Amino acid sequence: MPEKIFYITKEKFEEVKKEYKDLLVLEVKKAKGDIPKVFESEDINPEYVNFQEDLSFLRSRIAELESVIKNHEIIKKPENADVVGLGSKVTVDVDGEKDEFVIMGTLEANPSLGKISNESPVGRALVGHKVGEQIVVSSPIKTTYTIKRIKYFSA
Amino acid sequence: MISLLHFFNKVGELKEIPRKGWVLRGIKNPETIADHTFRATLMAWVLGKKKRLNMERLLKIGLIHDICEVYAGDTTPYDTILPKDKKKIAALMKTWPRFTDAEKRKIAAQKHKREKKGLEKLVADLPRELRAEIMNLWMDYENGLTPEGRFFKQADRLENFLQAIEYWKKYGKLAQKPWWIQARELIDDPVLLDFIKEIDTEFHKTKKPKN
Repeated sequence: MPEKIFYITKEKFEEVKKEYKDLLVLEVKKAKGDIPKVFESEDINPEYVNFQEDLSFLRSRIAELESVIKNHEIIKKPENADVVGLGSKVTVDVDGEKDEFVIMGTLEANPSLGKISNESPVGRALVGHKVGEQIVVSSPIKTTYTIKRIKYFSA
Repeated sequence: MISLLHFFNKVGELKEIPRKGWVLRGIKNPETIADHTFRATLMAWVLGKKKRLNMERLLKIGLIHDICEVYAGDTTPYDTILPKDKKKIAALMKTWPRFTDAEKRKIAAQKHKREKKGLEKLVADLPRELRAEIMNLWMDYENGLTPEGRFFKQADRLENFLQAIEYWKKYGKLAQKPWWIQARELIDDPVLLDFIKEIDTEFHKTKKPKN
């Protein structure tokens, strides 16, 4: 089975590389039993993830970061910025109500913040379409998404 | 040991707390938070077998993902716009709420803060390693730090979706549309999307939802 490709923004990829480097240092220190009393730095753990007490999580996270570094593709602004694609912010009218989605790869998708995955049914349906086009998802209940605006941030 | 006993006592209260989304929809004797946790974890395990996942990690995430609610309470996407009038609530429950970017950020941040605080309170007296493990598992679920955290987040939504379709079948009046919108915008895992197709086929053989 081919490895999954992670489509990722440049900013996120820089974060991933830094976290990976920092966690490898922590892993080596932990193996040597040479761990500073409080290792959790704001850099690694802006939300206080306590890797020091939890070796299994440290290893899971390192494996995850390795997989991302090995199988990533940076999201770039496409040549044709008139169509919805990865990294675009799309303003839509959904059955008469306004909403905004940023189309992200699965790693950065966070629907509660409006970042929807390009692999979700709605993400997939929007990709490739232009302003003014309507996407109807009808199984089993009809919902209409009308594209009002497309904007790209990343260069 | 006494700290463990207190922890189990408190978590046991989740067996009595009904899920708020069903209460708002007027479902009689709705499932509790513990009921939901049980089936969401079971579904994650069984459906997750098709993927290369660390099962122990996945199941632990399932078990702890909502325990913060014993202090933080259950949250629904409608909480910030909930009217007082019962008829208006019923009308709202037929829709999927849309928010501005700023509102989305504010709602998510407040929920995260409240739940983190609740979890910290719940695990405060536990042995240090266990406390750290539970906090880390929850952070993984919240922030999608590993494939297990990301998969469970979606399995959790799928369980909620299945419960909605089951209540629709049982009571008829429940609007399905908000659940389908959620499923199509929130879930991207191919295994879970295939399972949603199964649910659609099986539940709508003889009767199609109108709204």
